[in-house]
Amino acid sequence: MQAGIGISTAKDLHQAAKEAVEQARIKISKNINLAIVFSSIEFAHPVILKTISRLLGSVNIIGCSSSVIISNQGILKHGLAIMLLSLPQDIHFNTAYVKDINASSITNAGEELGEKLLYGFKNIRRDLGIMLCDGLIPEGSRLIYGVQERLGKSFPLVGASTSNITGSNKTYLYFNESVLNDATCGIIWGGKLNFGLGVKHGWKALGKVRTATKSQGNTIYEIDNAPAAKLYEEYLDCDLSKLRKELKYISIFYPIGIYLTGEEEYLLRNIISITDDGSLHLQGNVPQGSLIRLMIGTKESCLNATRQAVDEVKNGLRGHQYNFILVFDSISRYILLGRQANQELEIIKENFGQDVPIVGLYTYGEQAPLRAINYQGRAYFHNQTITILAIGT
Amino acid sequence: MLITNELVSQLINIMGLLSMVTIVSLALILTSKMERLKQLQFEAEKLKKSLEEMDEQAKLIVRTDMELNKTQEELDKKITGLYALQRLSRAVSTTLEENQIFKMIEAPYFEDLGFEKACAFLWNDKEKKFIDHINIGYLKDETETIKRLLDSERDIYSDLIKNARTISSISLIKDLDLKEKITEIFQVNSFVISPILPKEGDKGLFFVGTESVDTTIDEGDEELITILSNQLGQALENARLFEKTWRAHQELEQKVDERTRELTSAVDEIKKVSKRKSDFISAVSHELRTPLTSIKGYASILLTGKLGDIPQDVRERLDKINRHSDELVHLVNDLLDISRIESGGVTMKRETQELRYIVGYAFDLLSGQIKEKQLHFSFDIPDNANSVFVDHSQIERVFINLISNAIKFTPAQGTIIIRSYKMDKEIQVDIVDTGCGIPEKDRETIFEEFYRVDNTINETVKGTGLGLTLVKRIIEAHNGKIWVKSKEGSGSTFSFTLPQPV
Repeated sequence: MQAGIGISTAKDLHQAAKEAVEQARIKISKNINLAIVFSSIEFAHPVILKTISRLLGSVNIIGCSSSVIISNQGILKHGLAIMLLSLPQDIHFNTAYVKDINASSITNAGEELGEKLLYGFKNIRRDLGIMLCDGLIPEGSRLIYGVQERLGKSFPLVGASTSNITGSNKTYLYFNESVLNDATCGIIWGGKLNFGLGVKHGWKALGKVRTATKSQGNTIYEIDNAPAAKLYEEYLDCDLSKLRKELKYISIFYPIGIYLTGEEEYLLRNIISITDDGSLHLQGNVPQGSLIRLMIGTKESCLNATRQAVDEVKNGLRGHQYNFILVFDSISRYILLGRQANQELEIIKENFGQDVPIVGLYTYGEQAPLRAINYQGRAYFHNQTITILAIGT
Repeated sequence: MLITNELVSQLINIMGLLSMVTIVSLALILTSKMERLKQLQFEAEKLKKSLEEMDEQAKLIVRTDMELNKTQEELDKKITGLYALQRLSRAVSTTLEENQIFKMIEAPYFEDLGFEKACAFLWNDKEKKFIDHINIGYLKDETETIKRLLDSERDIYSDLIKNARTISSISLIKDLDLKEKITEIFQVNSFVISPILPKEGDKGLFFVGTESVDTTIDEGDEELITILSNQLGQALENARLFEKTWRAHQELEQKVDERTRELTSAVDEIKKVSKRKSDFISAVSHELRTPLTSIKGYASILLTGKLGDIPQDVRERLDKINRHSDELVHLVNDLLDISRIESGGVTMKRETQELRYIVGYAFDLLSGQIKEKQLHFSFDIPDNANSVFVDHSQIERVFINLISNAIKFTPAQGTIIIRSYKMDKEIQVDIVDTGCGIPEKDRETIFEEFYRVDNTINETVKGTGLGLTLVKRIIEAHNGKIWVKSKEGSGSTFSFTLPQPV
């Protein structure tokens, strides 16, 4: 396997695509099969994808937009990153997408994606799936469930939900020469693929264990038989209106943590909004009866979690070679770390090498399997994590 | 039957006993369990209390943590803002071209400051409207709409410029109408507007804003934007000053070029005139020589008596004719020499000569006049200042002219000294006399053609006024200089330089 990465910040879209492709191509001497494209919003344009297509011939393109993109050259608020992959013959892959997803068809869309990814993979061993979805689709957990209905509940699935904190309220997916909204796309890999996965967030549980006594989907109505928002009112000593005002802080610094038996860390959920009756609308689902706690995070705990995630990746690789690294990092961590945001990238580079191709993005949510045996490797929707995936042959 | 009854009653007794024992045991066990339960309850209560206390502590921790995080965020924001301001300031000060200043300002700088929209407008006094120079976060037609709306309410914005006032969405709390107007015009939730105030030229407004409802503006933001707009104003001022200076410099250069051309033209004209003059003098002198020669010739023949005896009074008049003809010839020759030297018609035959020899020759020629006036004549020519590289005959004329003048203007029993000095590449010769001296007003003009100092000696002794002119031309033809120092009533020193042999 060969992997190359190219970056461009040129204002002209055509020139940016050309620059990034040419840079990425330097390290690749064989046929290019796959292009993974991450970019900031202003580069979400068909011109980029058409230019890549024209320069590389028939190559599969998959990717998405983000508020901030990650590469081994640094984190960029304005830029285009292209990872080109040349895969050996014993590695099979397939790409697929589903568009026009609405609130009523989320699970079906997931199933459709799963089916499309499986096409041509009937007699081939499947190793890993990667999915990217529009971060503005509500209840991303249902999308994962849909995909798992087709690929299998224990199939390793890693993914990201696109983010946009610029205020334009649009995010984009890229599939071949198309720029899509309300969509999801994915890659499935099979053959002799090695990979190591690390998923960590670093938030710690604080205070008493509570119970989500009434919840459905992404909404918690009551905690310990009282309106859910009361939890925050008590801890932060403020009323509902002030909570709404401080929602940005609360959501990032003090998310809800769901206790998962056997898991080292709680599964986090960001608060998106607080309704008048004190219900909390979250970014992921919270099953009724879940044991939950308020979580607290610091810059230090964040960076420690990155180090732990790196260790998990190394353990997963078991000494096998890796050719490139994908990073899906929660946008909450970017906001919390502030000027130290690049430290996470430095930790990854320190451990995996300064020159290893790294590409990734900051997300509204991450999809990754849980480790504890009782979850049987099933992928769940996460918030606030850093997900590091090293892949090689 | 009796045995059976007894057995039964014994059995009943035993059973009763056993029951009692069981009941007592059970009672004991129950009591113990209840004790244990009570203990556990107590422990549970204790644990619950501890948990409650820990929970209260957790609340304290969360509240404190929240405050710290907010403070940290404010600090981070300020630091990021200062970095952005520093980078912006640096970018703006790298150019002295007014148009380029605004091009240096790009969107990423403002994003670091927390704003995704920014505009700069300068008020054009001639066209009586705002002209946009920075446009970030707006489409072209949006900018046109903003300009139109600003123009229609120009008094409000002109006031801001006039009063050098920065306003923002937080400072306009008491003027909600204006705040609403601005948010509507610029399509933002929060904003800061600060005037751009260069000392000269068009002034304007600098606007930054954000649509985000999450972003809060504070006094720190107002301060940062005010600093930035001040720096923009300063940069514009510097650019305009540079432009002005450069233009003035260009104009000056142009004027200097024009003047130089005029002067060159005037000099050329003077040269032409001078040449024409020299040619004229030369031509006239040549024309004059022929008749003069005839006049002198015929006068001489008549004086010889070859054509017959002539009366004494006729002889006297013929002598006068002869003398005056000689003077005229002398004048014409001098004029011819001057004009030839000026026009380069005379080639200086330069050779190494000895000053002592030349001075000696001049002395011999003029010794009669020296003796007549009982003048003290001496020369001081050291060995290292004796050799010169000159045209022998021309330099003789110099010494003869200058010594003659010294003799003419020095009273009887006066002194004439000739000295020479070795300079760097030249020999300087001084001819010092104790004569009547030259008035200061005449010292520059005495070397001009036909100029004679107005004094009693010149009134009585005739001269052409060309001697010093000729001397100057000869010295200058040898790349030397001539000048005079004099004090009326004390004497004069005529100094000149001659080249040394190479």
